[in-house]
Amino acid sequence: MIDELIKILNHKDIEWEIYWEIGRGSSFKIERCELVRAQRKYHSGIGLRVGYKGKVGFSYITGINHDKTSLERFVNRTIKLAKVSEVPFYGFSTNNKNRKVKSLYDRKIEEMSFDDAYSIALLLTEKERELKERLGVEYAFSGGIAFGMSTDGIANSNGIEKIEKTTGMSVNIHIVKRAEKSGSGSYYRGFRLMPDFGKEFSVGLERALEEVELSYSAKKINGYHGEIILEPHAVASLVSILMSNLYGDNVYHKRSRFSKIGDSIASESFTLIDDATLEGKLGSYSFDGEGNPSQRTVLIEDGILKGFLFDEAYAKLMNAKSTGNAVRDFRTVPHIGNSNVIIDGKRENLEDLEKAVVVKRVFGEHTANPLSGDFSLTIELGYLIENGEVKPFKDNMFAGNIFELINLIINVGKEKEEVGSFLSPRVLILGKII
Amino acid sequence: MNIDRLIKKAEELAGRYGVTYYEVRVVKISVAHLEMQNSHLEEISSNMEIGIGVRAFQGAWGFSSANDIGRAEKAIETAMKIAKLMKGSSKVYLNDPIKDRAEIKAKKPFINVDLDEKLELVKTVDKFLEDNDIVNRKVSYGDGLKWQFYFNSLGSEIETIIPRIRLSFSATAKKGNEMQSYWKIFGGTGGWEIVEDVDLEYWTAFVKEKSKSLLNAQLPPSGEFDVIMDPELAGVFIHEALGHASEGDAIKNGESILEGKLGEKIAVEELTVVDDPTLEGKFGSYIYDDEGVKARRVEIIKDGVLNEYLLDRETAAYFDMEPNGHGRAQSYNYQPLVRMSNTYIEPRDWSFEEMLSEVKRGLYLIGDKGGEVDIANGTFMFGAKEGYLIENGEIKAHIRDVALSGKILDVLKNIRAIGKDLKVEFPGYCGKGQWVPVDDGGPHVLTRALVGGLL
Repeated sequence: MIDELIKILNHKDIEWEIYWEIGRGSSFKIERCELVRAQRKYHSGIGLRVGYKGKVGFSYITGINHDKTSLERFVNRTIKLAKVSEVPFYGFSTNNKNRKVKSLYDRKIEEMSFDDAYSIALLLTEKERELKERLGVEYAFSGGIAFGMSTDGIANSNGIEKIEKTTGMSVNIHIVKRAEKSGSGSYYRGFRLMPDFGKEFSVGLERALEEVELSYSAKKINGYHGEIILEPHAVASLVSILMSNLYGDNVYHKRSRFSKIGDSIASESFTLIDDATLEGKLGSYSFDGEGNPSQRTVLIEDGILKGFLFDEAYAKLMNAKSTGNAVRDFRTVPHIGNSNVIIDGKRENLEDLEKAVVVKRVFGEHTANPLSGDFSLTIELGYLIENGEVKPFKDNMFAGNIFELINLIINVGKEKEEVGSFLSPRVLILGKII
Repeated sequence: MNIDRLIKKAEELAGRYGVTYYEVRVVKISVAHLEMQNSHLEEISSNMEIGIGVRAFQGAWGFSSANDIGRAEKAIETAMKIAKLMKGSSKVYLNDPIKDRAEIKAKKPFINVDLDEKLELVKTVDKFLEDNDIVNRKVSYGDGLKWQFYFNSLGSEIETIIPRIRLSFSATAKKGNEMQSYWKIFGGTGGWEIVEDVDLEYWTAFVKEKSKSLLNAQLPPSGEFDVIMDPELAGVFIHEALGHASEGDAIKNGESILEGKLGEKIAVEELTVVDDPTLEGKFGSYIYDDEGVKARRVEIIKDGVLNEYLLDRETAAYFDMEPNGHGRAQSYNYQPLVRMSNTYIEPRDWSFEEMLSEVKRGLYLIGDKGGEVDIANGTFMFGAKEGYLIENGEIKAHIRDVALSGKILDVLKNIRAIGKDLKVEFPGYCGKGQWVPVDDGGPHVLTRALVGGLL
């Protein structure tokens, strides 16, 4: 049917681009050690952009089984929109380069039957039940697994035609402990390829349990100002406040603190990279929502601003090249977004410390002000290490300014951890706990 | 698509798979969206979408959805197969069948307003926001007309039509390296009249002025303070501090700190908190929820006592209660979850001036920047757009945006005064793995919280 649509479009005197998706997603949810809900969802659709006399029109249809008449209607509707649209058209991608990022697809996930997935979910349920029996009524276990596959395709009037099939899978575990006090612990991990579930569940439950025990005995501490180690989860929350300042559209429209490449904006110990080409990572892809090949883009290197993220339109507006960061689905027009974000810098050993203040998780980063950089976040969990002994704390706030904070980075740890599409080591900073 | 055929098919498949309960939502939604930044139109779109979502229950839920309507019957079958496979032991609340057709009426349906006119509105706002000190202007308009046909195995057949409209704009001011922005959001259930009634000239000037004056505002202090919240901030406060923890699924799953506290006094006696989807024209309003249960006003806290949880069919059955119409789904392709609608604090009799005179050293905080809650630990946080220092009952220096944090069970008992000036007009979206439109508000409220300032 895509061929049919392309044939129709080629007969019109327009520039065009289609982005299509066919996919399905399934998940199982566990509540109080019971498998209580499961789902299998299907989606498909085509987004069409039409460039006509310097303007662009967009619309989409759901489903990919349409007859010629409805495809004609779809095309004509979008052309009509382009004719009345005032959205400027900057051209579609001409980059025919084919990049293939490895390990984003696993046939085993695509072909996994629902019954097999059900057995995997049952395995997690049983492991949680065993733990519950051992630990007692104070503990409530929940969690789940999810998996899915998607085929994404792009074609345009410049001769671009690309297609990619990807798979994904995730595990999440949540434990609450409640007696006189309360505590919680959680674990999340996503994969492109089928993991060893037995091992993954054991690791996940162990980590979540460690966290729940820390959280249960954690108390608010007095304010503190000085060296703080941020664990990868907390680093990801903070760096997410910074990211929109590195998007080309925000720079162009002056909604960014940054404007000039080459400026020194952070500590020499800090490097930040966007990389969609990493093998098997959650934020990886071979081509972006406009068909541009994915790439590795250094944003900040040793404290120096090195680059911004671009899609086709803002690259043209700013005399730059697309960095392959057009994010979209068939329902939306492309927007600039990040892929995998790598945090790096001057590496030191930040493990096995005798004395430290460590912030493990914070929440509320969406309330921060990405323009002024001010943030005040709640500390979900942290701990003090004194003479090798761990004393957990929570309910304090971690406040600061992101533009100052990146200048107060002392060094970063040697080992990176995945937090969604962030890859971060521990980071040592100067900061303030309230 | 032939609905009668689907109803028959579902019945037949349920017989084949031995499913005790099922429900189907067929949704048709028409959406328009426009976005402009610094006079640069970034999006103008108008789309229509049809989809189906099916839930089947056999001790546990199976769900399937499709947006290719050719797969409608397949979706029904898939949901039923899953439910059967799961062999669960949960219960679900079953009521008498309801046959109804309900519509939230618009005075001036936006579906009859040309895209040109919508573009004109966006341009007008953009123009009004122009100013030498404003480096960025952003305007966003959206409307959506949702037609839904709900049917279930009990014989309910409910057709609903809900129009929802939203206009938001922001201004960013810059001086040297300092940048500040301010924004305002308008919206509700209804028609074009909702945006027509907005005094655009006034509110664009207001937003510009605020963003500029914030450049000169002081850094907020940090530590525990007496805090007066304005109605907008009181809304997000109660949404985070109480709303989420009172959602039936959080209680049932042993995750909420409010588990087992029904009937207990958890707040000051003056506090009554309501969640009401039946309020006229509000952004979080609806007539039936996505489980075919009639929406109803719920008093979560009544005179300081935890009075009622928000419930859907499943949590109601678990607690041996009746559902109160709070099972909501983002769209046809999501399973309903227990959600809030329009949440607010009931007014009492304090005037703002009386409240102010109570505060020796504290903060007056204004506007909603969103929030988040950790219901297991009972800790929540929320952000204010701006504020003022209060010294000896007087409003002093202007301060920048700041977030606050508190413990649910402490802060509800720390409320010292509740004002008489109720406002519920702060439309937004609430996220819980799915996004649903909500509104919240309250009168001015005086409490004590941890302020995460930079000084």
